[in-house]
Amino acid sequence: MTVDLRCYGDDIQAAAAMLPDFELRSPAETASWYLREWQILAEALGFAQQLAAAPRAVPTTADPATAMSLAGLAAFERALRAGRPGVSESQARVQSAAIEAMAAGGAARGELWRVTIDPTTLPTGACFAEGGRSLRAFYPDTAPGYFRDGWSGPPPRAESACGWETPLVLHLGTFPWVYSSRLGDVGPGMRWTSTATQPALEGLQAVASLMEPATNLRQDARQVAAIYRHFIAHTAPLVAALPGFEAGRPVAGRLYRRGRYLYVHQGSLHVAGLDGPRGHLAATAYNYILRRFAVFFAVRRAAVRALPGLAGDVQRAARSSADPCLRQQAEEVTRAS
Amino acid sequence: MRRGIWIALGATAGVGGMLVFSKRASAASTVSPPSGTSLPTIDLAPLPRAGDVKGDLSTNWGNTPVDLRPLFMLIEETSRIKGAGRLLSAFASRESSYVTTAQNGNAAAEQDERDDSRTAYTNNKGRNPPLRYGEEAAAFGSGGLFGQLAPYFLWTGVPELGKNAPLLDAPPSLMFQPRAAGFAAAVYLQRLLTQYRVDDHADLKVGWANPGLLGKGRGSAKYQEVRARFLEDAKKVGIDLADTATIPTKLDTSAWPGVAAVFAGLVGELPRELV
Repeated sequence: MTVDLRCYGDDIQAAAAMLPDFELRSPAETASWYLREWQILAEALGFAQQLAAAPRAVPTTADPATAMSLAGLAAFERALRAGRPGVSESQARVQSAAIEAMAAGGAARGELWRVTIDPTTLPTGACFAEGGRSLRAFYPDTAPGYFRDGWSGPPPRAESACGWETPLVLHLGTFPWVYSSRLGDVGPGMRWTSTATQPALEGLQAVASLMEPATNLRQDARQVAAIYRHFIAHTAPLVAALPGFEAGRPVAGRLYRRGRYLYVHQGSLHVAGLDGPRGHLAATAYNYILRRFAVFFAVRRAAVRALPGLAGDVQRAARSSADPCLRQQAEEVTRAS
Repeated sequence: MRRGIWIALGATAGVGGMLVFSKRASAASTVSPPSGTSLPTIDLAPLPRAGDVKGDLSTNWGNTPVDLRPLFMLIEETSRIKGAGRLLSAFASRESSYVTTAQNGNAAAEQDERDDSRTAYTNNKGRNPPLRYGEEAAAFGSGGLFGQLAPYFLWTGVPELGKNAPLLDAPPSLMFQPRAAGFAAAVYLQRLLTQYRVDDHADLKVGWANPGLLGKGRGSAKYQEVRARFLEDAKKVGIDLADTATIPTKLDTSAWPGVAAVFAGLVGELPRELV
């Protein structure tokens, strides 16, 4: 049956339609779809070689989506270890613990895409020690940006040892571009790695899990849709000002619109970008972020259609979701099956 | 690599008194052809991707843009000069800020760049094979990923191939094609390593700026200045010059396959009308 995401709006249906549909009940089709998405993701984040070298067959799982996630995350970890540490060990440990706690809480609430927490409720306070000082382990992301308007949120309930005056907010759905600003050519999350601890890996785990049907269905799509709309509202005028790419006589070095993505002819997407009232947005970040939204809604479309074949607890979660669209879709596919 | 460069590449001539050093390229836009001329537009194969190279694209690249690393690695693998990729990345950070279509000479205030390419052309055209777009090259200035001066860019490979050098009939804007810029950079790197005294990696950057500084200018204030700036550049990009696993202490050109092979590996074939 055809799954319609227009319950969230025509724009969301269009976002899902950016990617080819696939049938989760077909292992070959699913494996092919996920492989392509991971290849595109790895190319953007710089671990394409490691992914190409990763074994595809995972003996412990017959599910192609999960198998691809495991292969992708293992490849990412290898690339992280080959790179240089971006943060100190003490900061990495604090980041890792914070992401783990926030991801667990976010997933339970159906809000893994954007996780928010009072940092003073974390055991570490989201603070780490360096040079005798207590420093914030993350950037306080409250200025108006591409994912939301300025938001200072409720102040921490306890006094912060490192000066937190706002909630800690991370957009894990678009990791490594986890903040509403700072959307440069390298996502801030890519630097979350030390010699022994890899918080970046936990960040990408959130991305991977949102690509898997069970976690995707548990995520409140309304949260993702709202962030997507904000992103589009603030980037559409910038993108519209670019020339459309036409095969034939492209100009070297010029930034184009190609389909819904950005394209630099004979140049680097990491160097090119958009500049607007909300700041600089690297072309590679734009493409990656847009694709994360598209992937989320494409997986949602496929997962809803395949719902009768998914695990019982996933079906129950969908039918009792706080999201009325998902409840309605779950009822429809159950009836149709 | 800007003024006074590519002297050895141009085969025989030196350009005296042209010791001016790198500033960052000014523009990301492509050059408009000089009025009254119609230059051909050439579009080479797209940038190589990770799957097109074998070498490690994760270790010791610092902030080198992820989608340009395969090009740097392809230059290294094609030229068979281990370590060339990361060094050329550090060079490109200074010369173009990784903008493939950077140009010095297209802005009103860059008359000096145009003067330099004019001088380079005028002083060397008599001893090099003719360039089909010589006048355009003379008026072009320098540019591309590695900040190449247009006439010398087009004379790339002349010492080895003479009148069969591959770019003699190409327009100077070909340097905006990163594969062509990479070809010229590989050849120039090999020439520096084989024709000059190069004590270390910083010396290579000195030669990139002006090979004269590797001879009589060695030890001069400018020589020291270029070295110091290069070491800062490498640090800023995050490339560890002392990591001998990725950049040998001495770059070795003994496996150089020749200009023609490097051209074939990086550029392939030019359109028939330009050959």
